[in-house]
Amino acid sequence: MDVLEVNAKTTHEAIEKALAEMGVSRDEVRITILNEGKSGGIFGIGAEDARVRVERLMAEPVPSSDVAVVATETLQKLLTLLEVEGVVSPAVYPDESSEQPTAPVAFNIEGDDLGILIGRRGQTLAALQYVLRLIVGHKTETWVPIIVDAEGYKERRHEALKALALRMADHVKTRGSPFTLEPMPPYERRIVHLALADNPAVYTESIGEGESRKVVIRPKHPSSGPRGNSISNDQRSTVSNQWGNSLGQRSNTPGQWGNTQSQRGNYSRPRRQPPNY
Amino acid sequence: MKDLVEYIAKSIVNAPDAVKVTEEQDEQGIILKLQVADEDKGRVIGKQGRIAEAMRTLIRVKAAKKGTKATLEIL
Repeated sequence: MDVLEVNAKTTHEAIEKALAEMGVSRDEVRITILNEGKSGGIFGIGAEDARVRVERLMAEPVPSSDVAVVATETLQKLLTLLEVEGVVSPAVYPDESSEQPTAPVAFNIEGDDLGILIGRRGQTLAALQYVLRLIVGHKTETWVPIIVDAEGYKERRHEALKALALRMADHVKTRGSPFTLEPMPPYERRIVHLALADNPAVYTESIGEGESRKVVIRPKHPSSGPRGNSISNDQRSTVSNQWGNSLGQRSNTPGQWGNTQSQRGNYSRPRRQPPNY
Repeated sequence: MKDLVEYIAKSIVNAPDAVKVTEEQDEQGIILKLQVADEDKGRVIGKQGRIAEAMRTLIRVKAAKKGTKATLEIL
């Protein structure tokens, strides 16, 4: 059963009913509300049922392989134009989060002297990937994540960042004080956030804007650190200010750490879930 | 140099025939001037100039290989 139209008193009920009948979860379907429904007047006169259409979304192997073909050709063309000699081969990108509905199309470029293609902190590689996504997106009129790696740079970086994140989390746990990593591009911050997402002792957040945005690893229970009592009280108030102030009120107690910039970052964005990459 | 910008621009605009790239040389290096249809300007500049910046980054790679510098202007 791939499409189902269901009537019920409210749209919510109708959707629940349809999902139950089809035996699928909400992310696997597209929901169209055909009629919002009306509750009607006295005695329910003029009431209308809500009506929704629920369609099961197909896994789309066909378009995604089209994308792979177009992407391969485009990437090869770009490399030729850049006069970079490299062999493009498909790759599997390690990504722990399987939230994405479509698997990324990933490439690895092998060749001599690809340092120039990677650029400082992978900047050139990021530009190449961005342009490739744009072109493929324009040509195929779909959006599939494409990942371009060169000589396994990103994969190495991924492992290195994970190791760094775990090491620093340990450090934060034993010291009881936060640690700020150096500025990183979004996908690298994401790796750190994901690596520590389930860590019982610490949580992560990003502060700063643009190029200088960086990850801070903070202890979940600041008072359990080996510091003195007065400090941990301050810490507790800082933490509760951060958590309670997502509406943007300025806290009266200045944070113990965190300059004005990190404060701004904190209350303009509610903390975690989903994390700010 | 020209062909790279031309290829990228033509691949992301709605009116590829309106894409024109000219190449000039001065003592600073190569200057590339990109012209597109008015309605496509946003497509080659991008939010916060992100697309233009990505093209510049790629141009720099190619220029560096030739031992020169290159700039991209969008007209």
